[in-house]
Amino acid sequence: MKKINLIFISLILAISSTIAIAGDWSKIRIGTEGAYEPWNFTDSAGNIVGAEIDLANNLCERMNAECTFVQQDWDGIIPALTQGKYDVIMAGMSVTDERKKTISFSKAYMTEPARFFTLNSSPLSTFSSAKNLNLDDDGSATAGTISSLNNALKGAKLGVTVATIHEDFANSYLDTDLKIYPTQDEMNLDLAAGRIDAMLCDVGTAEAFMGTAGGANVVTFGPNVFGGPLGEGVGAGIRQSDTDLKAMFDKAIADAAADGTITKISMQWFGKDLAP
Amino acid sequence: MLEAISFGDAGWGDEMLMGAFWTVAVSISSILLGLVIGIIFAGFKLSSIRVLNLIAEFYTTVIRGVPELLVIYLLFFGGGSAVMYVAKIFGYFGYIELQPFVIGTLAVGAISGAYSTEVIRGAVNAIPRSQFETGSALGLKGFRLYQKIIFPQVARLALPGIGNVWQITLKDTALISVTGLVEIMRQSRIASGSTHEPFIFYTIAIILYLIITRVSNVAFDKAEIRYSRGFVKRKIS
Repeated sequence: MKKINLIFISLILAISSTIAIAGDWSKIRIGTEGAYEPWNFTDSAGNIVGAEIDLANNLCERMNAECTFVQQDWDGIIPALTQGKYDVIMAGMSVTDERKKTISFSKAYMTEPARFFTLNSSPLSTFSSAKNLNLDDDGSATAGTISSLNNALKGAKLGVTVATIHEDFANSYLDTDLKIYPTQDEMNLDLAAGRIDAMLCDVGTAEAFMGTAGGANVVTFGPNVFGGPLGEGVGAGIRQSDTDLKAMFDKAIADAAADGTITKISMQWFGKDLAP
Repeated sequence: MLEAISFGDAGWGDEMLMGAFWTVAVSISSILLGLVIGIIFAGFKLSSIRVLNLIAEFYTTVIRGVPELLVIYLLFFGGGSAVMYVAKIFGYFGYIELQPFVIGTLAVGAISGAYSTEVIRGAVNAIPRSQFETGSALGLKGFRLYQKIIFPQVARLALPGIGNVWQITLKDTALISVTGLVEIMRQSRIASGSTHEPFIFYTIAIILYLIITRVSNVAFDKAEIRYSRGFVKRKIS
């Protein structure tokens, strides 16, 4: 029996390329998609690059860990984590309650807030408010910003896309008239044509539209909206059992946010500050 | 545009060709595995032993009846878990990486094997009984009978069907990109996601697939001619 055991184990060792020992995080394998520019992508020489790669290297330095990257198709990215192909997902993945049922997340390392958009001819374009609206903050400033938003949007028609965090937010916080679109593209066209007064969506998608001829007259107004139903942003996915690793990432991310590293990386890759 | 597909570090040409290499490598190993499976299970189906019939029937029904992607998921994620579970019993607690190439070949081979089984079974059934009897009369038995008399005729009848299975197999390899193997599909996705030029890279993927299928068609035509020596090409008039 002993002999069979030995043979079997050496066979396993021979076919396994990596050995992870629980609790020892001097080596961390990070799973990423490598096809989501500028978050994580592959350059034409075949190297994985991007904002999350720079950030991961920085975080690993803080954790005194040696990090390797594993590329994985988006479709299998969560099962491969739970199975142990790698220890952490950093792939532009938003923290959502649905995903939290399967894996846990570090605190968010980047957030892409939602914003309101309108035409430059609209009276809404001159609306001014606080810079940020954090829905997780229960203070009076939050309530004040929401009520001034509701005042400004009174009688206006606001577009959102269906079954999104934005629709959830509009339903629970705003009392304006909603028009719900199946896709962002249709909403873009209706905003440009004046069929809706404003739209609420991710900054990135709206900016892509503003860069085209059809969206040249579109401007943004109001605060950056995040927290609450809009989620916490993009975080590192970690197996639920690895609470020690999650604590290490939380601390490293907090440090990187505090000393401006995340802002620096974000400015370099996105041209704007996505630090949490 | 030209820069995107150039070779070397500045372009994606070498990466795309490498993807094509893996597509062909997985396809060839899968079809060969599928043929071995097909020959064995066709034998099971034609056998007079009831248990073997049932085993083969179960295999072809399940594999042909569920989506290919599901078989691949099952083998890749389920197979990894199964191996690790067994390893745990023997006191090994690490992560065991199953090679994407091996898993891909097993999964696609199992799929193409199910189709090959039916093709080969049909071809054997199409051989007249008299051929078996003549073989026995010549004193050939068992393996020799099949090698000398039956197989050359089965090959001729099965080749068009196997050619069909080959094309399906080739395209099924696109599904194993979920295992992380960088074949044509996965490489195009990486390249288009990284450059925001999906049109260019998916067009290249189409061209690569067409080149592979065209070349293999020629090879199958040659093989069909070879195995049809002595037969007049029949045409509907």
